[in-house]
This record gives sequence, structure tokens and C-alpha cells, in this order.
Amino acid sequence: MVRQHSKNMASISRIHNGIINNGILNVFWLIFVLMIVFLLLIIVGLLTYTDTKSMATVLQQPEFHFAVKFTLGTSIIAMLLAAAFALPVAYILSRHKIPGRAFIDTLLDIPIVLPPLVSGIALLIFFGPLFGKQLEQIGISVVFSQLGVIIAQWFIATPFAVRSFIQAFGSIDQRMEKVARTLGFSPTMVFVKVTLPLARDGLLGGVMMAWARALGEFGATAMLAGITRMKTETLSVAVFLNMSIGDMNFAIATSIVMLIIALLVLAGLKILSRREVIA
Amino acid sequence: MKSSLLEVSGLNVRCGKFKLNNITFSLHKKDYLIIVGPSGAGKTMLLETLAGLRRSDSGQIVLGKEEISTWPPEKRGFGFAYQDSLLYPFLNVRENILFGARAQKKQGQRAIINRLERLVDYMGIGHLLDRHPVSLSGGEKQRVSLARSILINPPVLLLDEPLSALDPQTRDMMRALLYDIHKTEGIGIIHVTHNFDEALQLGNQMIVMDQGRILQQGEPTEVFDKPGTCWVAKFLQIENIISGRMQRKNGAVWFDNREYAWSLGPLTNFSGAANSREVSAILHSWQIELSPPQVCDGKPNSWNAIVEKIIPNSHSIDLTCGGSGRWQISLSRKEWEKHHLEVGAQVTLSVDPEQVHFI
Repeated sequence: MVRQHSKNMASISRIHNGIINNGILNVFWLIFVLMIVFLLLIIVGLLTYTDTKSMATVLQQPEFHFAVKFTLGTSIIAMLLAAAFALPVAYILSRHKIPGRAFIDTLLDIPIVLPPLVSGIALLIFFGPLFGKQLEQIGISVVFSQLGVIIAQWFIATPFAVRSFIQAFGSIDQRMEKVARTLGFSPTMVFVKVTLPLARDGLLGGVMMAWARALGEFGATAMLAGITRMKTETLSVAVFLNMSIGDMNFAIATSIVMLIIALLVLAGLKILSRREVIA
Repeated sequence: MKSSLLEVSGLNVRCGKFKLNNITFSLHKKDYLIIVGPSGAGKTMLLETLAGLRRSDSGQIVLGKEEISTWPPEKRGFGFAYQDSLLYPFLNVRENILFGARAQKKQGQRAIINRLERLVDYMGIGHLLDRHPVSLSGGEKQRVSLARSILINPPVLLLDEPLSALDPQTRDMMRALLYDIHKTEGIGIIHVTHNFDEALQLGNQMIVMDQGRILQQGEPTEVFDKPGTCWVAKFLQIENIISGRMQRKNGAVWFDNREYAWSLGPLTNFSGAANSREVSAILHSWQIELSPPQVCDGKPNSWNAIVEKIIPNSHSIDLTCGGSGRWQISLSRKEWEKHHLEVGAQVTLSVDPEQVHFI
């Protein structure tokens, strides 16, 4: 009897010693399962809404081919540009004390928090009334052009790369770089041989994030480059254009392709970022 | 006369509010210089300045015959190893060790490989060459880190607490390895540590630093036996620091502490000392002898005390004795077994006044 009682007490104390008791944990499990089921259902819903025949028809249309090639082309260029700008900006921000740091940080975050439509209007004003004429004179036309698509994607994607790169550089123990200096490397060689390899995972993560952001960009692109079929028609623009004229099959097929690309990017992110895979 | 390898004179380095102040010392070929000091004394900052990782505001650093104060680290080529081995995780052990040697291009490829083979064999890390740092133990990582800094043939090896993150057994093994490396490679070593055993076992020169200044330098045993100030004595954990005065009595000089009614003497080495000069007597715990209780009235340099605390250690027993004053005494286990003491026991303590250092 006494032994049974002490056993019960032990099990009760185990429960109470836990971080969360069973009541709340059950609620957490319920929400967890609901969330996963919901995510699976919306993906399955999208994938099964159309039939394979009409899907195949859409996939053969020249408009669809244009949208896929154009989106991949512009988003890859935007991604590379984002990386090229984010690298020096993030390095300086992570390694140097700069006056007005909080202001600069906020400035860099603006494209993240600003609705893309507003970013688009700001870009339109900058490349239109403000500097449009000067740029035209040197042969650069941004507004309602394919270049505008790249600039809009770059503008929206770069801050994501900057944030990720700052974290990547910030997580490096700078003594690793100091050791390399004592081992005979110049500052430039230290950056190439030590800093970049040490930051590799974070840098790749940032590049993939920037690409993912550029791939799906719509609002800023629509404002700066316009929505012109077969000219500035990215996949997002194609979905919008065809939904607005009631071509559901085209819109859904395009959405599925975008979903597949998004999943591939996500998988790439997970594989490249070893830390996330381990976690 | 020993030839000087590194001459540092009047070195001043500022970093924010902290400043390394007028650092002057020299390192001779085959010197093993130990630097000790509390955290924040500027020890790492000094090593980084010597390596060229920090710019000095004034002063000179001369290597051999060349003034190197303005040289970048890659030109100085000093070996540097930090407390945590800081191996590059994207390289295997072999690539880590070769990392610097290949960058320097001072030695030919064949010479580098020969030296690598000899070094890893000697340091017992030959079997680790194809492994990645993540799979190594703390001691293995630190050996690889040392090999990496030695392979570049540095004129001076700078070690920033290289053994402090290791377990005691590995630390002893690494200590022996450092001793061997110093003897066989003939590299001048500057080693920052918090561990006084390390200082005594490895160093032939020692510097005590605090707040960016050098407080004392000399041979380690000399610094421990004869600390220059009470601060240094306390920092070196010398157990008994008794303040008092030098007094002349019957033509001889004695040390008197009125509080404990305690005196030492006659102090023949201090016959010329000024009367009533305030000094502190520095007594290491091992300098005080313990014997069964005796009548000490009037007997010089002996006094009675009561055992208050007994702390056994692996090689010795530390005693705290009270009564008149408070004394820290250290006995070897063998000696301890002769006495069979318990807390509250009466004992007689004595000291040879000629052995006592006064500040």
C-alpha cells in the first residue's frame, strides 16, 4: 500500500516537474496536427483542382513557356544582383561601427515591411519623373520594360539577402580570420579563403531566400514594369492576367508550376544549409 | 651573452578606454616567456599587437635587427594559437596544418611535406590527418592548432592560454609537448596563462601584468619567491602577507607585527634598513614549519597556534591556523601523517627569518 502510494507520488511529481503539464500539451498537439493537415489540404486542393488534360494543354502554350523562361531569367539575374549588393553592405554592417546604425538598419528593412505595391510606386517615381529622363539619355529604360522587372525583383529581394548575410558574417569568430593573417594571408585572401567559406551556409541561404522572393514577386513588378502579356509577363503576372480574364486552367497550371519551383527552392535551401538539415 | 630575438620597448596601444602602457621587455632566442595577469590585464591585446593584429600607437618592436612595428601580420609571420584551437571546419586536419605554410610560399612543397610528416609524427597526430576538426577531441584540436602555427617556421610563437580549455590529463600531456617543442624547434615562445604551475614548469622568464602595465618581470621562481609588490604577492596567491615594521633592537634589525605580537629576526640581510620602516613579510605556506606544541615564550621566530581548518589536496594538506594571527600552512602528505592533527589541536609554528622576503 505504502509502496503503491509512493509510486503514484513519484509519477505525479514527474508530471509536475515537466515543463508543460499534459492538459496544455494536448492542446498544443491538437493545434500542431490541425496546422499540418491544413497546409497539406491547401496544397492537395490546388494540385487536384484541375485535370491532367487541361494542365497538359496549358503547359504547351507559348505564353506559358515565355512566362517560365522570363521568370527564371529575370529572377536569377535579380538574385545575382541582390547577392552582389548584399555582400559588401552586410560585411560592412557586421564588421564596422557606423554612426546612425539604427537608421541604416531601418532603411535596409523598408522593402521587407513595405507593401510591394508601395515599393513599386516609389520605384516608379524614382525611375520615372525623378531620373527617368537622364537614364533615357544614356539608353536605359526601366519603366514598363523587362529591365523594370529585374529592378523590382532585385529591390524586393536584396534586403532578405542582406539580413541573412549579416547573420552569416556575424556568426564567424573573427579570431579565425586573425589566425589566418598570422599564417600569412593578406586581408583580401583572408576574406576569400576564410570568411567566405565560414559564412558559406548563411550566404547560400540568403541567396536562395532572395531568389525565392524574386521568383514570386508581383506587386512592385506590376507597378514598375506593368502587366503586359508576353513582354513583362512573369509567372505571377501570368496567374493574375489569366485569373482576371477567367482562364482558370491557365492560372491554376501556372500556380502549380510555381508551387513546384517553390518546393524545389525550399528543398535546395534545406540541403545547402547543413545546419538546418542537422537541426 | 644571449642574443636578443625580440625587443619591445615603450609600446603603447590604445583600444577604447583601455591602454597598454609603456610595455618594455626582451625575448632571447630559446626563451620561454610566460605572461600572467588577471582577466582584463591586456595580455591578449599585447600578443595581438606583437603579431601585428593591432596597431601600436607608439613604441618599438624589433625582431632580430629589424623594426617591425608597422609590418602587417602576414609579414611578421609569428605563430599564434588561441585558447580554443580555431581550426577551419571546412578543411580536414592535413589542410588545416598546411593552410599557412602553403600561403607563405617561403618553403618549397617538398620541404613543407617533409616538415609536416616530421611534425605530425612527433606530435602524435599523424593518424588524424584525413579527419575533420569536428571529430577531434579538445587535446587533438589543440595539437593540430599548434602544428599549424609551427609549420610556418615562425620566429616567435604566441600562445594565448593554449591549455586552459583542456582537461587535467590532456593539459599535462600538452604541457610536456610544449616543453619538447620549445627545446627541439628552438622557437622563442610567449605564453599567456592563468595557471601558475604552467608558468613554473615551462617558463624561464615571466611577466606579471595588470591594467595594461608590466608590474614585474624576471625568472618565474624569482618572481614567485620575491614578488615586487603586495599586489603581485596576492595575485600569485602567496598565502601569508603580514604587514609590520623593521625595528632596531640591540643593534640588530627585527620585523615586528604589533597586532599579533609577532616578530622575526634578527634579519642579518637588512642590517642597513631604516628604523621603523613599514614593510610586509611574504611567507609562502610551505615556508612555515609545524611541530608539536612547545613553550615558545621568548623563543625567536616561533609561535603557538590552533588548527582551525584542514583541507586535503591530492599531494598536500592545507591548514589554516589561528590564535595569534591567521596562518596558511601547506604540509606534504608524508609530513602530515607524522602529526595526526585534528581541528582544535595546539601546534607550534616556526619560520627561518633568512628565507622570508620583505616588500
